[in-house]
Amino acid sequence: MSLLTPKKLALRILIASLLLVALMAICSMIGTEDISFKNIFGDHENGGINPDYKIYVHIRVPRIILAAIIGAALACSGVVFQGLLRNPLADPYILGISSGAGLGAILAVVAGVNFTILGHSPMAVFAFAGALSTVWLVWFIGKLTGRMHVTGLLLAGVVVNAFFSAMIMFITSVAKSDQVFSTIFWLMGNMSEQSFLVLWLSAGFVIAGIVCLFLLSGQLNAISFGEIDAKNMGINTARTQTIAFAVAALITAIAVSLSGLIGFVGLIIPHAIRLIFGPDHRQLIPLSAISAAAFLVAADTLARVVVAPAQLPVGVVTAIIGGPFFLVLLVKYSRKAGIWQS
Amino acid sequence: MAIVEVKDLSYKYDKTPVIENISFQVNKGTFLAVAGPNGAGKSTLLKLLSSIIAPTMGTIIIDSENIADYKSHQLAKKIAVVRQEFVPVFGFTVLETVMMARTPYFSSGGFESKTDRQIVNDALKATETEQFANRQLAQLSGGERQRVFIARALAQNTPILLLDEPTSYLDLRHQVQIYDLLKMMQVEKGKTIISVTHDINLAGQYCDEVLLISEQTDYIIGPPKNIFSVENLEKTFQVSGFSGKIGTESFFLPLGKFARDNQPPTA
Repeated sequence: MSLLTPKKLALRILIASLLLVALMAICSMIGTEDISFKNIFGDHENGGINPDYKIYVHIRVPRIILAAIIGAALACSGVVFQGLLRNPLADPYILGISSGAGLGAILAVVAGVNFTILGHSPMAVFAFAGALSTVWLVWFIGKLTGRMHVTGLLLAGVVVNAFFSAMIMFITSVAKSDQVFSTIFWLMGNMSEQSFLVLWLSAGFVIAGIVCLFLLSGQLNAISFGEIDAKNMGINTARTQTIAFAVAALITAIAVSLSGLIGFVGLIIPHAIRLIFGPDHRQLIPLSAISAAAFLVAADTLARVVVAPAQLPVGVVTAIIGGPFFLVLLVKYSRKAGIWQS
Repeated sequence: MAIVEVKDLSYKYDKTPVIENISFQVNKGTFLAVAGPNGAGKSTLLKLLSSIIAPTMGTIIIDSENIADYKSHQLAKKIAVVRQEFVPVFGFTVLETVMMARTPYFSSGGFESKTDRQIVNDALKATETEQFANRQLAQLSGGERQRVFIARALAQNTPILLLDEPTSYLDLRHQVQIYDLLKMMQVEKGKTIISVTHDINLAGQYCDEVLLISEQTDYIIGPPKNIFSVENLEKTFQVSGFSGKIGTESFFLPLGKFARDNQPPTA
């Protein structure tokens, strides 16, 4: 009889982490400009800063770290929302984060707000605020429908999403086209350069969030069987749900403010890991985080080079690669076992 | 000695009374069936007894302590609950499902100890579910799945088991299997079992006591032979019936209109 042991989990996390680091190293050498390790750390002919070093340290590495952070954040919140809502179709944006972020971003542009926080554009700052406010609103409405009933929460998310999407369309219709174009492009999911301060702060928050969610993984396993079952097994469901929702929403909002809306990662990576390793959140959370980090690093590298010197929105790449990849996994593993049941 | 004491218990949903002024007690090692028509408040009573909902009035004493004073992880060491058979959304294996019952006992590391594994193995053996320990719940039949959920309740290692219609949706063979298993738990492990049921014949055969709830305020409790009389059952369920004996076992057969008239339905 096989059960997850700490040793087995540690080994899997170690192997996955090593593969991620290797992939990040490889991807850091791929780009429109050819650079080499020798040049990166070698002296510049004229005594100044080596251009390869500049490209590597100031452009490629931060962007790769950014992709990894965003991938990890989206996948973990996907895992958590699927588990808490007991809905395999849940993704990080299910509680209206996407429309909230979009509305925030478009309002910032249309209102002509012009300030930066930690180097962030007003669009990103407003998107972050919009995402968090929307989750709070959905949570509040969900609570009004009953005692944190899952269906109430889901419906509140759907309605708020629809309402805010309509607001976005309304503003898009009446605003000047050059104003909204940049917002729409941003919402398609784009990696852009971030200052080291923003990068490390975001990484700190996302990693802390993932650790927090990992510590709740035993409780999340029980909640996957339903709130009542979990309560009967001694879980403080209200506390677990509140913390998990808040943390998942926060790391999603961070990801959205950094990169716009990158679809598919938060939906397919958790399912892919579930199909291969099973639904135990103790390994689902860390392995989804590492795998999604790797997936988004690879997808962003492709987005950088496929139509060089132009760049594709990374959200387009994640959907194009992720869709077929997930379908292969779905067919292969679902035949082996009845993974999902209604 | 009473392990469950219910005193003047009332529960209102919004302003509608669901249960009003029920008082009874269950001694250690007793198998109590809770029967009654739909809407009489049986499942609500079970939710109150497992602290999923709080009473509007009255108290519930579990093992000499007010249920309201228990923290959730403490109560999970006193009471395990088996609800109606269902298929979870995600593909947990039988072993993972049963091991989940040990959650209140896990150390802060969140992983099971050797003792947890031993208890889970014993629960799987007792319910004869160990042969499909690595299969997913979705791959099992309804009866097998229900045995797994009973195994999970056993692994929780509590003195009290609450069951909400554990044999609904099961065929006759599986119904009897589940009741045999519960009886074994009562006799061999000394568990106190409280089971909501619609099957009064099986309840009469296996249970020591019956709580028959007619309406929110109208209830009787006692041994099955006293409670499951034709008069009580006809009055409670508003149905005519026929009662008889096979060997030492009594049974009650509800009779429909055509059976009463002794005429087959005509087109």
